[in-house]
Amino acid sequence: MLSRVTVVCFAGSYAVALALELSRLVLRSSLRGLLMLGFTAAGLVAHTAFLFYQAERINAQLHGVGLPLSSTQHWYLTAAWLLAAMYLFLAVSHPRVQFGLFFLPLVLALIGVGHYLADPNPASTPPDPSIWGLIHGSSLLLATVAVLVAMVAGVMYLGQVQRLKRKAVPHHGLYLPSLEWLQRVNGRGLNAGMAMLAVGIVSGMVLNVIYAERHQRFVPWTDPVIVITVLMFGWLAGCRLAGWAYRPAREGRKVAYLTLVSFVFLVFALAVGLLLETRHSGQRSVRPMFPGRAAAASRQPTMRVLGAALRAEGEAGRIGL
Amino acid sequence: MSIRVVGCSHHKAPIAVREQLAFNSAEARKALGRLRQRFPDVEAVLLSTCNRVELYTAAETHPPPSREELVAFLAECHGLAPADIDAYLDERSGLEAVQHLFQVASSLDSMVVGEPQILSQVKQAYQLATEEGSTGPLLHAAFQAALKTARRVAGETAIHQRRVSVPSVAVADFAQQIFERFEDKRTLVIGAGEMAEETLRYLRAEGVQHITVVNRSPERAEELARRWNGQTMAWADLPHALARADLVISTTGSAEPIVSASLFRQVEAVRNGRPLFILDLAVPRDFDPAIGDRPNVYLYSVDDLREACQRNRAERDKELPRALRIIDQEAERFLADLHHRATSPLIRRLHEQWQKPKEEELRRLFNKLPQLDEHARQEVREAFDRLLNKLLHPPLASLRDEARNGVPHALIDALARLFRLKD
Repeated sequence: MLSRVTVVCFAGSYAVALALELSRLVLRSSLRGLLMLGFTAAGLVAHTAFLFYQAERINAQLHGVGLPLSSTQHWYLTAAWLLAAMYLFLAVSHPRVQFGLFFLPLVLALIGVGHYLADPNPASTPPDPSIWGLIHGSSLLLATVAVLVAMVAGVMYLGQVQRLKRKAVPHHGLYLPSLEWLQRVNGRGLNAGMAMLAVGIVSGMVLNVIYAERHQRFVPWTDPVIVITVLMFGWLAGCRLAGWAYRPAREGRKVAYLTLVSFVFLVFALAVGLLLETRHSGQRSVRPMFPGRAAAASRQPTMRVLGAALRAEGEAGRIGL
Repeated sequence: MSIRVVGCSHHKAPIAVREQLAFNSAEARKALGRLRQRFPDVEAVLLSTCNRVELYTAAETHPPPSREELVAFLAECHGLAPADIDAYLDERSGLEAVQHLFQVASSLDSMVVGEPQILSQVKQAYQLATEEGSTGPLLHAAFQAALKTARRVAGETAIHQRRVSVPSVAVADFAQQIFERFEDKRTLVIGAGEMAEETLRYLRAEGVQHITVVNRSPERAEELARRWNGQTMAWADLPHALARADLVISTTGSAEPIVSASLFRQVEAVRNGRPLFILDLAVPRDFDPAIGDRPNVYLYSVDDLREACQRNRAERDKELPRALRIIDQEAERFLADLHHRATSPLIRRLHEQWQKPKEEELRRLFNKLPQLDEHARQEVREAFDRLLNKLLHPPLASLRDEARNGVPHALIDALARLFRLKD
């Protein structure tokens, strides 16, 4: 039964919810809210079932010792699931606000990247379950989601500021939350992202040491994924420190712009993890987006997967304590 | 089976008359009790707000009390002579009364169209009457339909989202878009104009608690601060007050701006970039317009807000026909349902009368065909039921069609005679 749930089922539901959200800009309907929630909830149920089935499959592939988030694709789809769940919660608690216009494209983008670019299989080397790997993968997953949420709040903040400065009344189809709320969510998102990133980096270091001791393999500290992850953490920490030391730096548009830069860092980190050859994780094969390139990709040790994070869970399946 | 409403509203009755006729909840309970004693079979709901006093009545078996009786009753409740209030009271019955109730509940008849309080006031009036045992099937149905209609109007039109007065637009469309909550925000009032007070009224409704008044005349500042439970500051402390404020309402009669861009830059230095909402209601303006270009400062003048009001009014006017169409649809549907209800005793009798011969024929058939198993018997039973429904469908459809235009007394009589139905 679960095996019949495909990416199309939940991506389609989210796409319909997004189309309904877009229709709010031009048409009014009392039924739409319910339909939107219905499609999102249905998508989330299918999404949950799909993730569950994938986790079971990975576990079977790794002879019962696979941990959650053991494949890049699973990691991306879990990030999409978290964002979709957050959207559903916000849509129920703030029915007037069009959160879907901002959240659902991100959800669909994560699903798209996960489905077409990320590796659906766990690492090919025999796994040793490790709690550090799980902590590493989960914390980087949560950091990614937190930065994405902060980015959404930042974009909405800038839109709201622009409207208020233009002295325009709210458009009936595009209602945004107050600046105060958006700033709070933005700040919390960045704080959570920074904290999770710190946990991810520390757990990654521990993993690297353990991995070197037990498997005589070591990811160089100059690996692009590690460098960009540390840079991103430094950027976030710097922004927050500046905000604590100098209050105007944590008010208003400045924070929103800083968040957008953080988002660029994140995209860069994910892209490096997906597209460049790095030694950050074990041997991986890339899901063939272009069949001609697939064979070549599968021959090389890749570090593709989801930037910093992905490897984390990859490691989870591979390193034993 | 009819509904009648007698009452006055801001359209026709001045505030002095409305005040004379107003009921608080204890008085309303008493009045409903007295009305029930006088007209035992009459259902009633009394709606009393600052903009209207309306007595809704309905009766199933005979017409509700006449306009004269209801005017006399309202006058008596307040110790007035009917002639004193008669000219201010309107009467509506049947479809008009239903449409009026739906318009009132949907806030289309309010002084500020779209204001949200009226719906809860209608609910409270209905609840109070229900608690007093004054409502019955007709007014239950009417008020439930009114609440449903109000929800439809709110959901399918933007009428409730469009404010049209300067203070309401300032608060709903701008201040609430900047601040999530107002309990912890400091409001500074510069000057003591009427518009400032009206804005304070909206802000207080949103939870504003900390109010500071600065005025050149300390006496007027004290007076305003006392009315709003706020505090005052000396005129010379204006920069200090500005540095602490989150919201500013300015309404002085000064010929020159009282806050220049250079003065504001000094204030800004100690504000730490906190957002500031400034409502400059003075003409000429109290704040240099260049202040509005500063980051985290949202400055609105009367002209800015008037433009917003006009845009809102135009948007709302566009929505009004749609809202009225919903009212008409729902009122007609409600009345058709109501009239159709009058036919239900006849329909029930018709069904009952035809059940007896059906059961007799079935019994006879099953006696003649004892070999039929239970499944076959069930099939036969269902076939008989279908036949019965098909036979009854044309007269019932005619009844329903006729009910759209009122209780179909003639058709009810004709069917009763045709099918020899007894009461």
